Amino acid sequence: MTAVIKELQKRFGKFEALKKISLDIENGEFIAILGPSGCGKTTLLRLLAGFDSPTYGSIHISGTEVGNINTTLPPEKRNIGMVFQSFALWPHLNVKEHIKFPLVHHRFADKKMDINKRIKEVLDITELTSFAERMPSELSGGQKQRVALGRAIAPQPDLLLMDEPLSNLDAELRMEMRREIQQIHRLTKATIIYVTHDQSEALAMADRIVVMNQGRIEQVGTPREIYSYPKTEFVASFVGKANLIKGTWHENYFEPELASNLKWTDLGVSEELKKRNIYPLRPEQIALTNDNEGIPGIITSVQYQGKEIHYTVQTQNQSWVVHTEIWQAFQLGESVHVQMKQEQAKLEVKEEKIVSY
Amino acid sequence: MKANIPTDREIVPNQVLSSLFTNKRIWTWIGIALIFLFFLLPIYRLVALSFQQNDSFSLANYTSVLQDATTWTVIQNTIVIVIGSTAISVSLGISLAWLVAYTDLRAKKLMQIFIILPFVIPSYISTLAWTQFLGANGLFQQLVALFPFPVPAINLYSLVGIIFVLGLSHYPLVYLLSVSVLRKIPRELEQASRVSGASRWTTFRKVTIPLALPGIASGGFLAFLANLDNFGIPAFLGIPANISVLSTYIYQQVVGFGPTAFATAATLSVILGVIALLGTFIQWLLLRKSKRIETTIEDKQPRYFLGKKKLFIEIALWCFFLLTSIVPLVSMGMTSLLSAYGVDFTLENISLKNYQFVLDTSPKAKQAMVNSVKLALITTVIGILVGTAFAYYRIRKPNHLNKWAEISIGLPYALPGTVMGLSMIFAWMEPIPGWNPGIYGSVIILFIAYLTRFLILQVRGSITAVMQVDVSMEEAAQVSGSNGWSKWRKILIPLLLPGVLSGAFLVFLTSLTELTVSSLLWSSNSETIGVVIFGYEQAGYSTYSTAFSSLIVGLIILGFIVLYILEYFWNRKGLKQA
Repeated sequence: MTAVIKELQKRFGKFEALKKISLDIENGEFIAILGPSGCGKTTLLRLLAGFDSPTYGSIHISGTEVGNINTTLPPEKRNIGMVFQSFALWPHLNVKEHIKFPLVHHRFADKKMDINKRIKEVLDITELTSFAERMPSELSGGQKQRVALGRAIAPQPDLLLMDEPLSNLDAELRMEMRREIQQIHRLTKATIIYVTHDQSEALAMADRIVVMNQGRIEQVGTPREIYSYPKTEFVASFVGKANLIKGTWHENYFEPELASNLKWTDLGVSEELKKRNIYPLRPEQIALTNDNEGIPGIITSVQYQGKEIHYTVQTQNQSWVVHTEIWQAFQLGESVHVQMKQEQAKLEVKEEKIVSY
Repeated sequence: MKANIPTDREIVPNQVLSSLFTNKRIWTWIGIALIFLFFLLPIYRLVALSFQQNDSFSLANYTSVLQDATTWTVIQNTIVIVIGSTAISVSLGISLAWLVAYTDLRAKKLMQIFIILPFVIPSYISTLAWTQFLGANGLFQQLVALFPFPVPAINLYSLVGIIFVLGLSHYPLVYLLSVSVLRKIPRELEQASRVSGASRWTTFRKVTIPLALPGIASGGFLAFLANLDNFGIPAFLGIPANISVLSTYIYQQVVGFGPTAFATAATLSVILGVIALLGTFIQWLLLRKSKRIETTIEDKQPRYFLGKKKLFIEIALWCFFLLTSIVPLVSMGMTSLLSAYGVDFTLENISLKNYQFVLDTSPKAKQAMVNSVKLALITTVIGILVGTAFAYYRIRKPNHLNKWAEISIGLPYALPGTVMGLSMIFAWMEPIPGWNPGIYGSVIILFIAYLTRFLILQVRGSITAVMQVDVSMEEAAQVSGSNGWSKWRKILIPLLLPGVLSGAFLVFLTSLTELTVSSLLWSSNSETIGVVIFGYEQAGYSTYSTAFSSLIVGLIILGFIVLYILEYFWNRKGLKQA
């Protein structure tokens, strides 16, 4: 196991940023830590890096204890690499010098390694060979990002930490860099911990996602598990943007509050949600109809998206977000009925293998 | 889309950096002790002395000083001079700032150099230049002699003269603060007001002025303080005319060495110091208020187009710059070349013998140059090390303790020079009562005084430099395996250097030409450049003082040229922030 986190807690004065969380990270895994701002994800990353010390609990990296209540091993003595949100390129060093820096200073870099050869390799992986002599001010956003990546992977650290590395790039570049980060993961087989607030980034790249909220881990699982089978209300609404429908749970079906004649089948709703008498329905799991089947409501907003249409439907007790196919056009103010789509089937996730590429 | 996620970075004390400060407690206590000893104790001793008579607490000094009619004349002079000169500084500074910030004038960069020139040249040298320009045989009289009607000679050795030279010397302060505030007001705010239906005048009144006022007023207070604090100008112009202001009056008390001289001087100093600190406090409040718009960047594109009036305004401005910045210096240069004071400036009267005297014959001038350069160099080097270390600690680990430390370090600079000089005498004549190690009376006291007074300049320069280097730059170095010396050598020093050096240049220049503090603390063999020029002028050797001053002006200009060249090469290396 590359990293083991045990009952990790971090307080800043009275504020408890991390509430005794535990997590095991396997060798070569790509872990995304997903959550809204202030959920503790950056704190967790900074504790892993060694920029902060834990208030309680412990951190092990590659079998060595690097942090506990009493001592914190500083970042330069940990076998890690890190990509910063702001890139943190040094304006007075060129691309090659950025990659050389950790090769010279990193304590875990192989001392017998041919530094020039490794620089060439890294430049090759990051596709920066032709920019080797450029200064940071002469690079585009994507190129800066690659330099930051190259610097982090150069010494081949056991653990690669990424702090929202794509949030400073524009939408199109983000998509491209996702592919490149996946490729680097495949090539280097490094263990990656990737912090993000963007659920689509996490779903697209990670082997496992750790969803965090208010200093706690809400759920850990593969992207499919997190998306299709959220354990908590927070995961359902943050990751899947699900509508949390109120009603009553019976043995194996759900009765929505406003339409007791309906019986929705259990597609794998978690015990916690059942206890709270909630059925999480993602916008694409809902059908809109003009016949009197379902729960009556009025359309309060229509957003045309090209490949689909997003509606907001106000029913008597809550508002629903519904995504429909493009051919299903309704007007603003129109009375409709909302209903769970019928053709859903339960996915068997238990047998699903972890796929990383 | 740019995600603006607040990270915990700002509020998290960076624990790892503390590895630099092992045995933190000991260092903290040493730091507190040093700051107390160098920055606070002298001021305490000064205040204590003013409340002391026959070794016991008493208000007698205050009653006798305030009952003396001379004191009230001095205070009245001070008020008139400070108000008058501040009015000149503020009106000149704001007008120029508005023109440079908002209109489409050409050659603004060159203008800026001329605007800053009176500020860079020590005020006593400008005064000398003005007296040569307006003097009986000066360029001004030769110019007006060409007029068909008689023009009365202008007597600079008067209240009006002092007000005039002070006002012209300190308007750059108002200009510098106002111009940056004006540029930082987003033009969209004015446009929004116009679109909402307000006229150009209403917009100026209701949007521009309220936003610019704190910054402009803060510049005004800075000029007020500079005018209150200045010693060179009232000393050169006021002492011969028997006009005293608080700063020169305190000086005269100290050098007069009467039986109660020190007690009276201390009392007057406390009065002057309280006025100055009050002014500093108001200025600080105003500056804090004006920082509300500081998130925006400076917008240097013109907002008002002058049209046909442009050429006329430009000619007027350049005449003003020539007349106030260049011509007086040229007059001074001309005097310095005369073989004897008072003769006409003709070819046969030109000689370099004054320069020969200053550079060769007179041992005093040479000694003073060596002293000043030594003092300035040592102050600068120690300033760079101590000031940058403190600035780094202050920014990376901000806490109440180092905030108070910064205020304490700034105190000797906020106090008028005469007050500060006097407090140095009290603190170091007998560091432990009854024990006089001879610090006062040697060059060491000047060195201590310079370092105490000017350290804040380096601290501020270095603070700006440290703030421009994001913490993540350091963290990236740490993750790459480097902390301690290699991080400083390879990452921090190269990034901090330009900012630190510009602060150091200011410290060097200010120390090199310092007069106020030195005039109180010098002793034979420890004269400085300022003291020697002041001495020549008081003894009536105007040709020597002008020659020495011209030399210093030449050196300052040379220094700036070197600085510009260095900056040019530095920028060419592509060191702009990525």
